[in-house]
Amino acid sequence: MKTSLLLLVATSLLPAGAFAESGDEPVPPTLEEAAALDAALAAEAPAPAPAEASSGVKLDQAFILDVAAAAFDGERAEGGGHDPAGNGFTLQGLEWAVGSNIDPFFRIDANIVFTLEGLEVEESYATTTALPLGLQARAGQFLSRFGRANPTHPHAWSFADTPIAVTKMLGEDGSRGLGAELSWLAPTPWYLLASMSLQTPGDGCCNRAFATVDGPINDASDLYATGRLEQFFELSPDLGLNWGLSAQTGNAAPADAATASAGTTTIVGSDLYLRFKPADSTLRRATALTAEFMHRSRALPGRTLEDDAAYAQFVQVLSPAWEAGARYEWASGNESDPLDPDWTSDRTRASLQATYYPSHFSRLRLQLLADQLPWQKDTTLGGLIALEVIAGAHGAHSY
Amino acid sequence: MKLLQTLALFLMLLPLPASAAVKVVATLPSLAAIAREVGGADATVESMLPANIDPHFADAKPSLVVTLSRADLLVENGLELEVGWLPALVQQSRNAKLAPGANGRFDASTVVRRLEVPRGAVDRAQGDVHPGGNPHFLYDPRAGAAIARALATRLAAIDPAHAAGYQSRAAAMATELESFARAQTAAFGALPAANRAVVTYHRSLIYLCDWLGLTSPISVEPRPGVAPNPAHVAKVLAQLKVLPKRVILQEEFYPTSTTSTLARLGSATLISIEGGTRFDKGRRYIDHLRAISAPILAALSR
Repeated sequence: MKTSLLLLVATSLLPAGAFAESGDEPVPPTLEEAAALDAALAAEAPAPAPAEASSGVKLDQAFILDVAAAAFDGERAEGGGHDPAGNGFTLQGLEWAVGSNIDPFFRIDANIVFTLEGLEVEESYATTTALPLGLQARAGQFLSRFGRANPTHPHAWSFADTPIAVTKMLGEDGSRGLGAELSWLAPTPWYLLASMSLQTPGDGCCNRAFATVDGPINDASDLYATGRLEQFFELSPDLGLNWGLSAQTGNAAPADAATASAGTTTIVGSDLYLRFKPADSTLRRATALTAEFMHRSRALPGRTLEDDAAYAQFVQVLSPAWEAGARYEWASGNESDPLDPDWTSDRTRASLQATYYPSHFSRLRLQLLADQLPWQKDTTLGGLIALEVIAGAHGAHSY
Repeated sequence: MKLLQTLALFLMLLPLPASAAVKVVATLPSLAAIAREVGGADATVESMLPANIDPHFADAKPSLVVTLSRADLLVENGLELEVGWLPALVQQSRNAKLAPGANGRFDASTVVRRLEVPRGAVDRAQGDVHPGGNPHFLYDPRAGAAIARALATRLAAIDPAHAAGYQSRAAAMATELESFARAQTAAFGALPAANRAVVTYHRSLIYLCDWLGLTSPISVEPRPGVAPNPAHVAKVLAQLKVLPKRVILQEEFYPTSTTSTLARLGSATLISIEGGTRFDKGRRYIDHLRAISAPILAALSR
């Protein structure tokens, strides 16, 4: 019984070719022959020819400009690095997105963001393209695969500002850093992707709940780890559900500059994306519901701080030219939280947007918001107008 | 032991390699239909998109990553028709066989005669212009014949044991398509030249017009991918009214409120063009082309 089971397991793992009609099929080399061939090949492996700089080499690139005008009737509390900064005009970013295959084994992707203050390498990483067994690795500076909103760029957002869950729990530019990631596409009949990364927390912009490291790290525990499990279920040809579970852990940000990090920060989250797009809609109508929840726990000297944040958003694509959406957000607070000392109770924010697409390469978005800040008695009302234009290759949209 | 049994059961549930057939994944249903006819019993073929969806704007569903991860050969239209969704899916599929330039990647646009290849630099002020040329060649059976032949050569390279089968099925298919193409060209050619002018919705029917000897003096979209506006639609109506045979051609996945109004005001016939072969219903590529050309010929002969 045991032998037959083992045989079954072994045959299940055999590649398709093993089932081919044998007949005149070539006989595979023996182990010795294979080893001899490998050695011979290694001995005479040519150094790859230097790639000539040629205008024929495909380099996908695009410039994406996001500018916004905003007006608030109370305290402006947009927390994201790309969010409209108070009353008046904001250059949300001029993003230079570039990507190319390097050779049969790697590709490169980079997102360089120009702001009025300077230049920021938001992402720049190499990804493997030829690892076996459904594995893929990437290394460099990249947005951590945590939740649904964090790994996206402004171009893919449905609203003109960053969700509070991202800016409060992760950082003004979310969670990103230098590091390496390994992901695995499981051989299941449905989409199941598991990923794990180790990254340096970096400074300022990101990973605000983790202790930052300037320069070389002392040991591996100075890094933060991110894990994610993502699944997609095609409920019908028109209806898809994407579900993710994410977790991050690393050294907790110290309570103040004088104290050392006391313990660990752990952030866990779950995200759902439900999209209905009837294939027979000539107006390309689509309805999308997104919900994301995060729970954060930080060990500080003598106490542990716990907080939560969530948002739910609904976006209706009405036609190729128009879409509208609504979003509701909530984030809890703590007494004397060193990261957000004024954020002592719940904050809620409601936003409405209407977007007009003159073409596939430009969009104009109007957004209204009502923000109930914990440290303000009155609700802050705001209005944003955001313009985005894209020059160059239009990058593929992820689901 | 229990664990081993559970593991074995789990592995049995995984999709097993049922046969040695080459696994072909085509982006569009018409390409899938061509591949199925050329591949015969030696290939299994899946289409990533259904026929009634605009291939410019498909969703990059993660389930398609799974489909691609198991493919031996990806057949794509090319000329950036699928640029909005395919590249990311291929990358996520982690399937090195499908890398650009690899044997497992077949770009149909490289084997057909291209029309509307822009001269000089592409300027987006012209609309959503494809820099390599107009990508909608699948409405021309002569392109389909060229694709069938080239696909047979590629399948033979991947699966040499069945090369003869691929070549003979492709030759039969190409011959049938070319003879159908000639017959239709002749039938349309018998119409008075003035009757062979039609209004199209998007610049996606130029290969169809080229094959059938039709002219399209104006499109309902002012520029490719730019929605019709009142001033332009008024111009289209004026143009429509001077045509001897008033016919509007539009693929099924475009909105019809403007074109049906134009048809009513201009006493014109609005013909819905099947966007792709009904591959899921087992239809052949040539059935799809017949379904397109027959109603046009009928309308222009009236």
